[in-house]
Amino acid sequence: MSMQSLHIARGEHKHLLIYYTANESAQWDIVQEADSQLTIHLFALDDDPEIRSDIRLTVRQAGEHAETYIYGIGLLTGTQQASVLTHVVHEQPYGISRQLLKFIVKDEAQGSFIGELIVAPHAQHADAQQTNRNIVLSPKAMMHTQPQLEIYADDVKCSHGATTGQLDESALFYMQQRGLDAATARQLLLTAFFHEVLTTIGNEAIEERMRKKIAALLQGEK
Amino acid sequence: MNTILDIRNLHASINGKEILKGINLTIGEGEIHAVMGPNGAGKSTLSAVLTGHPAYTVTEGEVIFRGKNLLEMPAEVRAREGLFLSFQYPVEIPGVSMTNFMRAAVNAKREHEGQPALSATEFLKLMRAKRALVELDTKLQNRSVNEGFSGGEKKRNEIFQMAMLEPTLAILDETDSGLDIDALRIVAEGVNKLHTPQNAAIVITHYQRLLDYIVPDFVHILADGQIIRTGDKSLALMLEEKGYAELVKR
Repeated sequence: MSMQSLHIARGEHKHLLIYYTANESAQWDIVQEADSQLTIHLFALDDDPEIRSDIRLTVRQAGEHAETYIYGIGLLTGTQQASVLTHVVHEQPYGISRQLLKFIVKDEAQGSFIGELIVAPHAQHADAQQTNRNIVLSPKAMMHTQPQLEIYADDVKCSHGATTGQLDESALFYMQQRGLDAATARQLLLTAFFHEVLTTIGNEAIEERMRKKIAALLQGEK
Repeated sequence: MNTILDIRNLHASINGKEILKGINLTIGEGEIHAVMGPNGAGKSTLSAVLTGHPAYTVTEGEVIFRGKNLLEMPAEVRAREGLFLSFQYPVEIPGVSMTNFMRAAVNAKREHEGQPALSATEFLKLMRAKRALVELDTKLQNRSVNEGFSGGEKKRNEIFQMAMLEPTLAILDETDSGLDIDALRIVAEGVNKLHTPQNAAIVITHYQRLLDYIVPDFVHILADGQIIRTGDKSLALMLEEKGYAELVKR
């Protein structure tokens, strides 16, 4: 497993784009100083069916008013296995963290998200949100999700939500009733599922590239 | 006059429970039919079965739509053939813009009819023209399909889509539910403007109120999966006065 350390200085803004490629295991240890802002986008959009990847992100907010944004998109196909672990620690007061990770697993792919969120006793006024939404497209595909919150401060705003389900059948029928064939409707719905994450990238060229990758991976989705 | 829809002895069930128990209904060009009935009579089931909702199974009977066997077609082909449902509960589709959705729908129908796809400019022009019909706010078309729309906006959006697709047969399923009087008037006026001597509509409603605005040629009372009475618009008025219990009893 490769290790990467990153120090984000006081007031610094950093945007990381992390693309999973074949058989990658990586651990990131990131420390944020006061008033710093970190945005991470994780993409697991590879078409190699054999991928085994494992990404672990540890983010420590070591200074006040640090902001951490972690977004992730995973579209796992074939027999891919990908896991993401986030370990976010609010150590100092007034920290903000947002996590939004979405996975679609199809075929015989397996995905895993473990979200560890720790608010230390000293980290009053922490504002933390963690959301994980998943769609499982085939009976042999699997998604494992495990939010884990440890909150030791008492004046905080923390929320988490994790859902795993199938494609919205009522939306599918609605679209078919307007004349879209099932395959097109499914593709539109699945791409739309990632929409709220894609719009956070803040770079139209990258956003467009990701949309194309997603469309290609969903091609022929029945 | 040509027949658009012919329903013959239609039986349908969901999860093994029979809901429609022998519906017979013929709809001709230029006609507006109201289907009324108490809750649970099978009104929404009728619209779901006609449009090809996968949850329902047709156990008996046939439906001929413009000379073709409707029940053999997948839902999207029924739509492209000119069957439209204004949903009682329009579905929110986050992440799919109204514009992209409608462009896909309009072009699917055009392709089915052997016409070339509309260019972006032609399409936007069409959107603009049809939007005016139901006084739909410009900003709504840039949003995701029905996402965050109010109840009235959703229903207006249904009629807007109807205007875009110009169906031969429109089924309006409880289009009046949840509408205040102003929204109801706008929706009804939209429907009336879209009505031509060549198309037809089925207006499913629980209340007579909508029929003050969309005047039906025929009123059918559906109860326990069958049409138990058919009349003109005075039947709806009588129903309003006496209630369903009185009629269903007979």
